[in-house]
Amino acid sequence: MILTILRILFLRLRNNPLELVLVFVMPVVFFSIFAGIFSKGIATGSDKKLRVGWIAAHETALSLGLRAFLEKNSTLQCSSLIVKPSLADLEDEAEEESVAEIEIEATIAEAQRAGRYDLIIRLPNDFPSQLVDSQDSTPCAVQLVTDGQNPMAVAMVTSVVRGFFAQKKAEVTAEQMMSLSLAAQPSSGYGSPREPNESQYFDPAKNPSQFFGDDPDSRFIVTNLDGVNSVNGVSNVPKEWAIAPPQAELTTEELLETALADTTESENDEAVSISVENPQAATQENPRIAMYAAGIAVLFLLFSSTGNAAALLEEAESGTLDRILVSQAGLFHIVTGKWLGILLLGCLQITVMFVWAELVFRIQLAKHIVGFCIMTFSTAAATASFAMLLATLCKSRAQLNAVSVVIILSMSAVGGSMIPRFAMSDRMKEIGRWTFNAWALDGYQKIFWFQSPLTSLQNEVAVLLGSSLVLGVLTLLFSGRWKRG
Amino acid sequence: MTESSATTVSPVLTLQNVRKTYRGREALKGISLELRPGELLGFFGPNGAGKTTMIRCISGLLKPDSGKIIRHPFDHGDDDDQNNDEPIRLGLVPQNLAVYPDLTVQQNLEVFGRLEGVSGKALKHRINEVLEWAALKDRTQSLTKTLSGGMQRRLNIACSVLHDPDILLLDEPTVGVDPQSRERIYEMMQQLTADGAAVLLTTHQLEEVETRCDRIVVMDHGTIVADGTLSELVSRTIGQPHRVILRFDRPCSKPLAAFAFDEPRTTATCSLASMKELPQVLSVLKQLDQEPSRIDVRSYGLQDVFLELTGRSLRE
Repeated sequence: MILTILRILFLRLRNNPLELVLVFVMPVVFFSIFAGIFSKGIATGSDKKLRVGWIAAHETALSLGLRAFLEKNSTLQCSSLIVKPSLADLEDEAEEESVAEIEIEATIAEAQRAGRYDLIIRLPNDFPSQLVDSQDSTPCAVQLVTDGQNPMAVAMVTSVVRGFFAQKKAEVTAEQMMSLSLAAQPSSGYGSPREPNESQYFDPAKNPSQFFGDDPDSRFIVTNLDGVNSVNGVSNVPKEWAIAPPQAELTTEELLETALADTTESENDEAVSISVENPQAATQENPRIAMYAAGIAVLFLLFSSTGNAAALLEEAESGTLDRILVSQAGLFHIVTGKWLGILLLGCLQITVMFVWAELVFRIQLAKHIVGFCIMTFSTAAATASFAMLLATLCKSRAQLNAVSVVIILSMSAVGGSMIPRFAMSDRMKEIGRWTFNAWALDGYQKIFWFQSPLTSLQNEVAVLLGSSLVLGVLTLLFSGRWKRG
Repeated sequence: MTESSATTVSPVLTLQNVRKTYRGREALKGISLELRPGELLGFFGPNGAGKTTMIRCISGLLKPDSGKIIRHPFDHGDDDDQNNDEPIRLGLVPQNLAVYPDLTVQQNLEVFGRLEGVSGKALKHRINEVLEWAALKDRTQSLTKTLSGGMQRRLNIACSVLHDPDILLLDEPTVGVDPQSRERIYEMMQQLTADGAAVLLTTHQLEEVETRCDRIVVMDHGTIVADGTLSELVSRTIGQPHRVILRFDRPCSKPLAAFAFDEPRTTATCSLASMKELPQVLSVLKQLDQEPSRIDVRSYGLQDVFLELTGRSLRE
C-alpha cells in the first residue's frame, strides 16, 4: 500500500512538467543566480571593483602619486570627476573660491545621485606637493565623500589611502636615514658607494633593519613607486627597486580588517588625516529602511499582481469570462478593468508598506510624498501590465503560478529586492536593468536616499511607464485568444 | 408554443450553413437552423458533436469560418414609437458555474446585471424579480460557495436573465443537480418562453428533451442529423412510434395479421401509429393455438432515434 501511495506521488509528478520544473529546476536556477551574485557580484570577487571618484582642486606630485597608487590597486576603479562650471558671474577672488566650492559640491551630488561611484575622494585646495616628515608638519587632509550606501567602500579606501601615506612616509624616513647612514660610514660596508657593485649596497647577509630600525615592517615600506620587489630573501636589490604595497595584494576582508585596525591606530598615523563626509546624512533619516521597504514592497507587489491577474484565468476556466464577454463589456473593458484594479491594489500595497515604515522607522515619507507617489504609480503600473501579460500568455492558473514564481524570484534576486544592488558587480547591475525591481529601487533610492529633485526620476518613470504601456498593448493583443477560444 | 405559431412567428435567430474549424477539427459542418420567440429548443448530441462550439458561435465568442448567424432585430413593443426595433439581447449560461463563489447571491446578481447594462432602480427591481423566479429569495446574503449545487445552478441561470434576454443559450444547465432543482430549472425556462424569450439548451438528459422541449435538434459530427418534435423525429427515423413484440417458446406456425415474424418464427413484431390500435392488434392472439411466452409493448423515444441516427459506437 505504501508503495502504491508512493507510486501515485511519482506518477503525478511525472505527469506535471511544471511541478517538475519547480522541484528540480528552480533550486538550480536560484542557486546559479545567487552563486553568480556572491561569487562575482559581491565586492569579494574579481569582477567587482569599488568605483572611486577623484576630485582634486589642484593636482600636485603627491596627489598624482596617490592617484597612481589607487589606480594600481586591483580592487579599485578610479576615475576623475569633471567639475561643471557654474554660470554665476565671478566678481572677486573670494567669490570665485566660493563658486568653485559650490561647483564641486554640485558635481559630487550629481555623481552620487547618478550612482556612478561608491565613494569619492576629494583633495582640498591646499593639498601638499610632497610629504614632509617632521614634528611640525600637519597631516595631509583627504576627504572621502560617501552616499552611505556601501559601508565597505569607506573602510577599503581608507585602508588603501593610509597604505599610500604610510609608504610615502617610510620612503621619506628611509631616505633621511640612508643619508645619515652614508654620512656615518663613508668608506666601507653598507655605506660604500653603490657603484659598481649594487650587492654591496643591499647585502642580504646583513639585516636591513640595521638601517631602518627594529620595526621589521620597515623593510617593506622602503619602496619606490617605479617598481615592485621585496627586500626579503633577495640578494640583489637595486635601490630603484621597490616593493608593492602590501595592501594591494590583500583580499577585501583583509583590507577591511586593516582599515578597521588603521582606524583605531589613526591617532598614531600623522601622515594623513582622512575625514568622511556623507552629504545626505544631515537630512536623511533611515534611508536604508526606505530602501528595504521598497525592495520588499516591489517583490510582494509582483506576487500579488500576478495573483490578482490569475483571476482572469480562473474566470476563463469557470466560464465567467465567456459570460462577461457575451455581456456589454468587451475584451478591452475586461483587460483595462483588471489592469486598473491591479494598479490600484498595487499602489495601496506599497503605500501601506511605506506608511508602516514611516510610523515605525521614520523614513520621512511626508517630505518625499510627491516622489513617492510618482514612483509608486509607475512601479504599480509596470507590475500590473507585467502580471496581466503573464496571465494572458499562461493557459492555466497552475502554469501561471509556476512561471510567475520563477520569473519574480529571479527578477527580485537580480533586481535588488533580495541583495542590495550596490553590492553587485557592474555586470549584475546591468542584468538587473532588465527587471522592474532595479528601476523601481533606483527611483526610490533617488527619492529617499539622495533626495534628488523629481526631474531626476525621469529615466525610471519613463522605463516603468513605457514598459507598462508596451506590456499593456501586448496584453491586449494576446488577450484576443479569450475570444478565439 | 404550439406548432402552428412556431411556423408563423418570425425567427429571432437564424443560422445559415455555419462552418467552423476549431482546434484543428471541423466542429461545425454547415449548420442551419432557426429559433423563434417563445420556443424551447433542445440540442442533443453525443460528446464532441459540436454543440458547445455552436453555442459559442451564436453568442459571438467564436467567429464562424463561413456561413451566417443572424440575430434578427426584435420588436419588444415597449412603447408606441414606430421605430422601436433594437438589437437582440442575448444571455449565456455556461456549462460550469460561471459566478463568483466568494460573492453573495445579491452581489453576483448586481455585478452581472451591471455588466449587462442594467443599473439603478431597474436593477434592484429586476434582482428582486429574478430572486423570486430562481427561488433564491431567502439566500440573498449567502456566499455563493455556501449554496447547494442546485441553488448554484439556479443562480448561474439567474445571472444571465437580468437584462431580460430575447435569446437564452444554456449549455448543460442541469448537470449534477437533484430532481427537485432540475424541475425548478425547467419551470424557470418555461416561464421565460412564456414571456416570449427563445431558449436554446444543450443537454444529455434524454427525458428532459423529450418532455420539456418544443423542438429537438440532434447533432452529430458537426452536422444536424434531425430537427423536429419527438414524434416527427420518430416517424422520420424509426417509423411508427409504438411496437408490440410477441415471443414464443417454439416456432409459431400460424400467420398473424399485421405481425412480422423472424426466421425461426419465435418472435413476431407489429408497429403501431397509436396506442389506440393496441386492443385490435392484440385481438389476433385469440386465433393462436399457442400462447406467447411474453408480450412487450414499447414506445420509441429519443434514445431510439438518437441511436438510430448516430449509431452505437462510443464517442469522445
